Amino acid sequence: MAQINIDGDNLIVEIEGWDKLWALKSRLEIPLANVRGATADPGIVRGPRGIRTAGSHFPGVLTAGAFRIDGEKVFWDVHDPTKAIVIQLADERYTRLIIEVADPRETVDRVERAIVDGGRA
Amino acid sequence: MGRPRAFDEAEVVASAAALFASRAYDGISVDDLVTHLGVHRNSLYQTFGSKRGLYLRALRRHLDHEVRPALQSDPNQAPLDFLLLAAVERAPADAEVATEITRILAEFDEALSPATTAALLGHRLRARATPTP
Repeated sequence: MAQINIDGDNLIVEIEGWDKLWALKSRLEIPLANVRGATADPGIVRGPRGIRTAGSHFPGVLTAGAFRIDGEKVFWDVHDPTKAIVIQLADERYTRLIIEVADPRETVDRVERAIVDGGRA
Repeated sequence: MGRPRAFDEAEVVASAAALFASRAYDGISVDDLVTHLGVHRNSLYQTFGSKRGLYLRALRRHLDHEVRPALQSDPNQAPLDFLLLAAVERAPADAEVATEITRILAEFDEALSPATTAALLGHRLRARATPTP
């Protein structure tokens, strides 16, 4: 599970609990200018994840860590597929973050709104 | 990063507009988009950023390519399904959608009159609820 917050011009992603161990990194700070969008996507866990480059993957239980697929680097932290969201990035270490949050709809709205507001500022 | 995209972006956006005009935004999952548009998930995210990003592109394209030309030729025949759905469902929750809808409705007001626009929207809304024989 991840906690997502907007702090000024940054998106802060904090990985909670034991996932820190699996996902290797517990906090990501990304400038909103590099955030292209957020989408609730429960179906994404059924697709291919790619090759794990760091972290852990226990099929059916937990996917956490860095994966590489089609030349892109993707950060995963998902136990419960129904709560998975996708955050698309630009000019960052990761092309995409696929993470589990408590309230996907609320989180996605909040991130999308922050991008729009940031674009206007 | 600059990987070639093996799909026609304009065509995908047009198909997305047709899909978004037919069903509620929340009722369309990324799985639905992948299936209907024939585009890989990764490419969807890479190209449009998010489902909302694709929705906005689709709405703007629909207004520019379908609605505005109709406004010039025959306003009474302008397609309104996507517009009505967006006005009811997304505009209250999305400032950018609200801006697009406000703008196009102002253009309707100018092409017809505010009263005629209101009547047209009302008729179209009722038509949606009336089963076609």
